[in-house]
Amino acid sequence: MHEARVHHSGPVAWLDHHVYSFVSSLGRVVRRPWATLLTIGVMAVALALPLGLWAVLDNIGRFGGELRQSREIAVFLKPELGLDRAQALATTLRGRGDVAAVAVKTPDEGLRELRDRGGLGAAIDALGENPLPSVLLVTPRGDETALAESLSALPEADQVQHDAQWRKRLDGWLRFGGRVVWVLGLLLGLGALLVVGNTVRLDIQSRREEIGVLQLLGASDGFIRRPFLYLGAWYGLAAGALALGLLTLAAWSLRAPLADLAATYGSHFALAGFPPPVLAGVVVGAALLGWLGAGLVAGHFLRQTRPTDA
Amino acid sequence: MPVLRFDNVSKVYAGGHQALREVSFDVEPGEMLFLTGHSGAGKSTLLKLIHLAERPSRGAVVFGERNLHKVRGGRVALHRRDVGVVFQDHRLLLDRSVYENIALPLILRGMRRREIGKRVRSILERLGLGERERALPTQLSAGEQQRVGIARAVVGEPKLLLADEPTGNLDPTLSAEIMALFASLPERGTSVLVASHDLGLVKRMKKRVLVLDHGQLADDISPEDLADA
Repeated sequence: MHEARVHHSGPVAWLDHHVYSFVSSLGRVVRRPWATLLTIGVMAVALALPLGLWAVLDNIGRFGGELRQSREIAVFLKPELGLDRAQALATTLRGRGDVAAVAVKTPDEGLRELRDRGGLGAAIDALGENPLPSVLLVTPRGDETALAESLSALPEADQVQHDAQWRKRLDGWLRFGGRVVWVLGLLLGLGALLVVGNTVRLDIQSRREEIGVLQLLGASDGFIRRPFLYLGAWYGLAAGALALGLLTLAAWSLRAPLADLAATYGSHFALAGFPPPVLAGVVVGAALLGWLGAGLVAGHFLRQTRPTDA
Repeated sequence: MPVLRFDNVSKVYAGGHQALREVSFDVEPGEMLFLTGHSGAGKSTLLKLIHLAERPSRGAVVFGERNLHKVRGGRVALHRRDVGVVFQDHRLLLDRSVYENIALPLILRGMRRREIGKRVRSILERLGLGERERALPTQLSAGEQQRVGIARAVVGEPKLLLADEPTGNLDPTLSAEIMALFASLPERGTSVLVASHDLGLVKRMKKRVLVLDHGQLADDISPEDLADA
């Protein structure tokens, strides 16, 4: 095919076309504030729901992590064993492959902890001598149930306490919640895609005549599609930012009551926000989602306008 | 080599309507000719086959060395840059100035801004629109709007200019002015094919005339034969 009788200027023209599309699409967003706000609002809510749920699960996981002593196995030694035997047994256990760490809690430390925590000072004083045994806090490496059984068989052990069951249940719920976040994220992400697609479709319909003229003048599919792609990206970018804004507001409103609740458990737990890479990822991802939605609709429209064989 | 060749071209639309029936003719480089016939004779369909808004059902449309049957995908846009089109209703972009409307084909070709400015201003002067470059199409008279449409169609120096009833809404004086403009284009190497049902105008121009009747090429009248008629 011989070319039209004018010269192409390659990258400069390509850049010119992009600048033109970038600016004109931004102009369209600004010129229709209500329609733009509605689209961005719906998209933002669709993005905020899975993001919010993810943030909640992340915080629950972190809260569970703070209580990691539940993973520890407490070995209450026989009361007649002295601190020397307790230290010697701890050293032996540290040498085992299924043990990550061993801490020794002396009877005095146990008593002090009990006095601080329970407000039972007077009752404890009345006991006279310390009735508490030495305790080994064993952090398992690998199968903690098998380790707990093995520790129960030790002749020095009076009682072994292993409260991992609730932790397993929590982990199970967190895994389930994580999957729910993915499913919700996919469904609502698809919803956001359709919202952008429908908005861009309406925009294309309103500019059908202009597009027809451009096609007759020899505009490539890329030239026609580009402003709509930028339009979709603008919607996505703004919706991503708005979703994060909504979540920040929600977190801010929950912070004080949650701190009060955590204090009743003796915890200083506070809600964690999104780290910067996640913030950037949400905004960029939302922009890409908008770009994709616009691209699908514009591509469908362009395929319909191609000359067909009779 | 002809700039355009129709070789036994037929067009049947999806509903079964036969718009063209075994039409054959050539257009030489720098030639101006008219396409005439009653309403529904197939004039618009014939023009659509040339700028690839439609494809023939049978036969071949060849543009220079390019068999349009083989022009697919992104090459359709490239082909259209070689064919200027003028419409009866101008089809100008109403939210863009005269300058921007005329510059569009050059922007699509990826021409540099400075060159675009030079070419657009040159054609604006040639068509007597030098003072109107910043005006919006709605601020122009019908004749001015049609001249802008023509300027936009020829600014890229297409090999062939198609005009579909370009004087349909204009008074006789303006019509004559527009036709004179078309007649000057072949001197610059652009062939011109004008579809019109205004027989008086066609006769006055004394150019070759193709007559369509119910989709068939009923007559191909040379300028000499037209003068004798």
